[in-house]
Amino acid sequence: MDQNKNINQLVDHLFRHESGKMIAVLSRLLGLQNIEVAQDIVQDTLLQAMSTWGYKAVPDNPVGWLYRVAKNKAIDFLRREKRFHEISPEYGYLLESEYTLSSTVNNLFLENEIQDSQLRMMFACCHPSIAEESQIALTLKTLCGLSVNEISKAFLTTEETIAKRIYRAKEKIKTEKIQLDVPQNTELSSRVDAVLKSLYLLFNEGYKSSGSDELIREDLCEEAMRLCFLVTQHSLTAFPRSKALLALMCFQASRLDARLDDKNNIILLKHQDRSKWNRSLMSKGFELMEEAAEPFEVSTYHLEAAIASQHSAARSFEQTNWKNIYHLYEMLYQLQPNPVVAMNKAIASAYAINKENALNELRQIKGLENHHLYYASIGEIYFDLENKPEAKKFYQKALDLTSSVYEQQLLKSKINNC
Amino acid sequence: MEKFMFIFEGVQPGNLSPEHMQEHMGKWMAWIDKLRKANKYVAGEPLLPGGKLVSGPNGKSVTDGPYTEGKEVVGGFFIINAKDIDEAVELSKDCPDLGHGSKVQVRQVMKVEVGQPA
Repeated sequence: MDQNKNINQLVDHLFRHESGKMIAVLSRLLGLQNIEVAQDIVQDTLLQAMSTWGYKAVPDNPVGWLYRVAKNKAIDFLRREKRFHEISPEYGYLLESEYTLSSTVNNLFLENEIQDSQLRMMFACCHPSIAEESQIALTLKTLCGLSVNEISKAFLTTEETIAKRIYRAKEKIKTEKIQLDVPQNTELSSRVDAVLKSLYLLFNEGYKSSGSDELIREDLCEEAMRLCFLVTQHSLTAFPRSKALLALMCFQASRLDARLDDKNNIILLKHQDRSKWNRSLMSKGFELMEEAAEPFEVSTYHLEAAIASQHSAARSFEQTNWKNIYHLYEMLYQLQPNPVVAMNKAIASAYAINKENALNELRQIKGLENHHLYYASIGEIYFDLENKPEAKKFYQKALDLTSSVYEQQLLKSKINNC
Repeated sequence: MEKFMFIFEGVQPGNLSPEHMQEHMGKWMAWIDKLRKANKYVAGEPLLPGGKLVSGPNGKSVTDGPYTEGKEVVGGFFIINAKDIDEAVELSKDCPDLGHGSKVQVRQVMKVEVGQPA
């Protein structure tokens, strides 16, 4: 052991990420119905690491250390538990004999098996019988190693709410007898869609600024990207739309640092300092867009990524290709005719066609009566048309509807300018 | 320079998230680093929870314990260098567990001259 090794040599979030990996592997080993046992083993392992490393030094191979301890704890559990068949349908017979027990456990901790286990866990967490909000909570708890408290902070809700969502998800796992399988054949495509949808929602949740705990919310974006990356790495799930979603996340994430000023005020796209956009994330986005082009398919993620890429490609707000963006929104609206897409399409039309057209389109949208961004957009158009009294009226409506501190700040300053 | 032992007593927090555990460990590592750089740190070992209590003549009585529920469980120890007890106490105040229901016993290691009459 190197005495000079210190904590700084540990990767950021190592515990959190390894927790997710180990829970996935152990759940596969013990069977998903024993997910709580898996979680306990991981918790014990990390506690042991915390109290051991803290007194001396970080071991040369911290990850190997964690896996060894977790493996031993799992083997102890399996030895105590005699009815192996009720433990893991996949490995039960191999865990019965002392001869194959250790090697089976060891094999599951190999890198490619870990990835496979995480992917299976994603499918289980995003099982169609589990409600979307529970899917996300369970994903964050099991795959991302976030505590109920951290999840509730990120979602601006109570611990109780999150605990309930996770409880319901776990109940579903038991009643529906959900296993850690990779879905086959015809089922695969729709199950991948469910995973992607969940990751998309997770990312968006982290992306919208709430003004409460920005750091932990950016963690949500990071976790969504990490898991989406895993999906794109597996031959079975690397659909073009998986890559398109990751591309979209890269483009959005590239602007994370530019969208708030020092005082945490929102900076709209129009006014962002584009030199603060993360170049490497942007080029990763473009790279993924190319990969997502074949075999040919058009998903909403393709279109959203293409829209985001138009912004990334523009040197300034004025040089943005709004005609392309408007056209992409028209295509998106065909695939996904919902009022939010309609609203974004209308906003794009303000630059692609003219403000009057945008106002017209916006006025026709039904279903966004409780959506602050809807009123804020109308206010913005009126402001640009120099109709300040109307602008003020709509900004005020938007202000009444948002609970985000950042957005309130922004809207108040807009009202003051009217 | 004298040697002192820090004995860490307290309950291990059970409900920490992985992120918090890593953070907490980071504080311990930073503390050790600081002691090491100042040439104060000699050794340290963590102790596993549980164990046995042996008592009676010839160790007749062996019981399980100390129990982890107890407040006074020893989680581990450091040996450090310090000029005197005052300096040792000052050094112990950086222990990241303080304020979370934990205590540090600071004890001086007695110097025994082996082979010399006392």
